[in-house]
Amino acid sequence: MTDSRTIEDRLREEYFDLLPDIRRVADHLEAEVKYLILPMRRKLDRYEQMVVTSRVKGCESAVDSLRRRQEGATFDTDQPTLYTLRALRDLAGVRVLTFPSSRLAEVDEEIRKRFESWKPDPVTGMGEGEPPLALKYSGYCEASNRVRGEIQIVQMLIGLFWEVEHSAIYKPSPLLKGVADHLEMRRCTSEVYKALRAFEDQFEALLGDQKLGSR
Amino acid sequence: MVQAVDSKWQILQQAGYAYNFDRMVYFNKGTRKVFSVDFVQDHSEHDLQTSVNEASNGAEWRFYFNSPPPAAVQRELENVLR
Repeated sequence: MTDSRTIEDRLREEYFDLLPDIRRVADHLEAEVKYLILPMRRKLDRYEQMVVTSRVKGCESAVDSLRRRQEGATFDTDQPTLYTLRALRDLAGVRVLTFPSSRLAEVDEEIRKRFESWKPDPVTGMGEGEPPLALKYSGYCEASNRVRGEIQIVQMLIGLFWEVEHSAIYKPSPLLKGVADHLEMRRCTSEVYKALRAFEDQFEALLGDQKLGSR
Repeated sequence: MVQAVDSKWQILQQAGYAYNFDRMVYFNKGTRKVFSVDFVQDHSEHDLQTSVNEASNGAEWRFYFNSPPPAAVQRELENVLR
């Protein structure tokens, strides 16, 4: 008997089959990352922060994300078996937000040591020669051999901007995600990143001056 | 890079292209051309301008993708953009 379901319906079924693994991976990675950075967190100044959050991608968001990965954001209905949610690297994700950004490299070094076989996939900045917006790694952990996890390390203000953007716009209306790829929107977003970076850089510079002055 | 983004958008805007955010394509119903976001991102302004200027009979949709879209994808997009 042929399967008359849509590709989206087949993927929804797959999602609920994978869900226990996705949850396990998210919990496992969150615990492990928190443990890894614990010694660093103990030494933080009062104004410094390292925040670890985890999230499980929702069903519709996962299906839509896979669709948007296809050029023209359209599934090939003649090839329904071509698609699997297991191709997504971020079904289970952990994000480390750091402030100030100078702490980012430390966290990255510790995480890279532990997850050295994971594939790096930094979120690139918009300008040439600009540092990446976030450091990102994906791979399998002990919690599952079916679902990959993703770890992101990002400057606090940029990470919080992503969270606001996501909860204000994309979570209520996932279909609007494609708006972010419009050329004009990309230009506006790049301006936001630039402003947030400048803010943090200036903040850090002033803190540095203050420290030097109090010696 | 931001400059390139600006001028690519100018090229498309001046040629009357609109953006379909669900399918992530720029399209022009008059010339029946469709550019994927990936194509626009991965090609230079010059390539984009050349593709926009290419003559079109306006009868069939023409797809400017990095990889040629399969027939079912073309059908679906033609349907959506109608």
